[in-house]
Amino acid sequence: MAVLAKELTAELRGRVALNAVGLFGLTTLIAVAYQIGPYRIADADRPHLLAALLWIILYFAAASGLPRVFVKEEDARTAKTLRLAARPGAVFTGKFLFNVILLAALEAFLVPLYCALMSYGIAGIGPFTLLLACGAVALAATSTIVAAIISRATGSGTLFAILSVPLVLPLLVFLIQGTRAASASAGLAEVLPALRAVTSLAGVTLVTSAFIFPVVWHE
Amino acid sequence: MLFFTAMPGVTVSFRTVGKRFGPRRVLTSVSGELRPGQVLVVAGPNGAGKSTLLNILAGTLRQSRGSVEHLGETGPIERARWFHHLGVAAPDMAMYDELTALENLRFFARVRGVDSSPARLEQALESVGLARRDFTKPLGTFSSGMKQRVKLAQAVLHRPAVLLLDEPSSNLDAAGHDVVAGLVRSNKAGTAVAVATNDPREVAWGDAQIDLIL
Amino acid sequence: MTKPRLRTTAQWLLGIWLLVVAIAAFHWAPTARGFKGESSRIVFFHVPQAWVAVLAFCVNLVASLRYLRGRDPLDDARAAAAARLGLVFSVLATITGSLFAHVMWGSFWNWDPREVSIVILLLIYAAYFALREAITDDERRASLAAAYAILAFVTMPFLIFIVPRIYFSLHPDTLINTRGAMDMESRMFQVLMGSLVGFTGLFSWLYTLDVRLAKIRLARRRREEV
Repeated sequence: MAVLAKELTAELRGRVALNAVGLFGLTTLIAVAYQIGPYRIADADRPHLLAALLWIILYFAAASGLPRVFVKEEDARTAKTLRLAARPGAVFTGKFLFNVILLAALEAFLVPLYCALMSYGIAGIGPFTLLLACGAVALAATSTIVAAIISRATGSGTLFAILSVPLVLPLLVFLIQGTRAASASAGLAEVLPALRAVTSLAGVTLVTSAFIFPVVWHE
Repeated sequence: MLFFTAMPGVTVSFRTVGKRFGPRRVLTSVSGELRPGQVLVVAGPNGAGKSTLLNILAGTLRQSRGSVEHLGETGPIERARWFHHLGVAAPDMAMYDELTALENLRFFARVRGVDSSPARLEQALESVGLARRDFTKPLGTFSSGMKQRVKLAQAVLHRPAVLLLDEPSSNLDAAGHDVVAGLVRSNKAGTAVAVATNDPREVAWGDAQIDLIL
Repeated sequence: MTKPRLRTTAQWLLGIWLLVVAIAAFHWAPTARGFKGESSRIVFFHVPQAWVAVLAFCVNLVASLRYLRGRDPLDDARAAAAARLGLVFSVLATITGSLFAHVMWGSFWNWDPREVSIVILLLIYAAYFALREAITDDERRASLAAAYAILAFVTMPFLIFIVPRIYFSLHPDTLINTRGAMDMESRMFQVLMGSLVGFTGLFSWLYTLDVRLAKIRLARRRREEV
């Protein structure tokens, strides 16, 4: 929790990651809404296209800020100090939870705006919120461990996208499918397959990260 | 002056350690030992591999060949647990600019699981010569010398059994150099110390010396 | 028989085997029902290529796990060798799959889930090498590449097995299908199995060559350091 507290304190004072993800997300959303808007999509295409666009905007906004959690440590040369002081488990947990909070904040900010600007109605608000929460956890899990890996390489900015896209694609598929279901129906049953898949993926990623993070962190 | 009783003694033994970065060989077959109560000076010109050797002894870099062992009272210590008994201050390490000096020390004390009471942290900062008025200022506003002092305080806060100092007096004035000299002197009783340097004043601290060449 | 002689004999046998498989694929095995013209014959090449791409992924995983346990540079070389071949066979599987798609459905690419899964495997291999290229320290490169390989491996089952079950797939039903039934004509099945063995042998040969080369390089480096 000390690591999480430190991350939150530093972020609230600097607001670098918050600004990055928030502004990137907002800019992308405005560009999409302006070009496509609620009226230029055929009714038949709306369910899938709107769900897909939402998660693409969220993912790329997240990708602009989530890797910072490790990259900034290497850039500021605080990584070695932290490496010599804290247990790997404590470091990963703190940074993973920070990324979950960052993603949750991004979703809370962007999703209502998206629904308003794109006239995207969600029939099942409850299941959709659950999907957003599980999606945040799963996305944060993958992004955190990939950020840890790329922070120790050169050219980490571009590497994050290259390494994370193949891993995040199945997750995005499930989230888009779940969002489609939630927008069409109020019931939890329709969203359940996607929720199960997202939760499994999150669980598998977290367990694997627990195993490989000490290797990544301590070499 | 920060006096402390170190953790139980740890001996660091390294045999035929070599390191290459791609085609460039930095270290070739270096051997030696850090013993509690001794100061080992690692000397050599720039680029000889002094920092590389210290990183390997700290476990933050893996050697290309050879072996490094940290031997505790009950036998070899697992690599993943070395950081418990290590205190390190090096030029390639920094603290958090967004946090104050006290907040930095509190964070490192908490993650290490040692006493993080304000009194103890303030004593640690005073012992490295930091003025009281600077305790609550963000580290980003500090000069390089002041940051170096906080770094040294962080390195000894948990009373490490092994202390690795890479050019500890860099960025420090004469008073700061005296602080470091006192730090090294005061722990000789129970701590294994290694100092990487090409400063003659720091070389003089050594009970044993390894000279690295290009 | 000496080892080099055994190796040469095995290589010749592999060559003859693959030649026989190729001939059988075009002249002995029948075409399958429901496929346009001779297009079903691509299964004798496309399926083994996809199989080898996944096999290489598994070999890469095992070598990566071994490296993390023992830190032997040869295990890292094995992992890289498997990944190189996996990349090549992923590309081949994508190309042959696209050719089949063009004949069957008039388009080289249909965003079919199984098409996408082999491309994702290709992207994973490409990312693996991008990561290796970005790290100059040998030991760090080996550790991080191994970590990424393990992470990628645990994600792949979701893509290969779960996503196609959710989305409708144009892809012909696989041998490993939900009904557990084998739907292939006997001669076709024999040629397919022969091709699988042949391609596995090809992978094994190329992999062994790559690893032998790596052993020589490592031995030379050790001699230089001494």
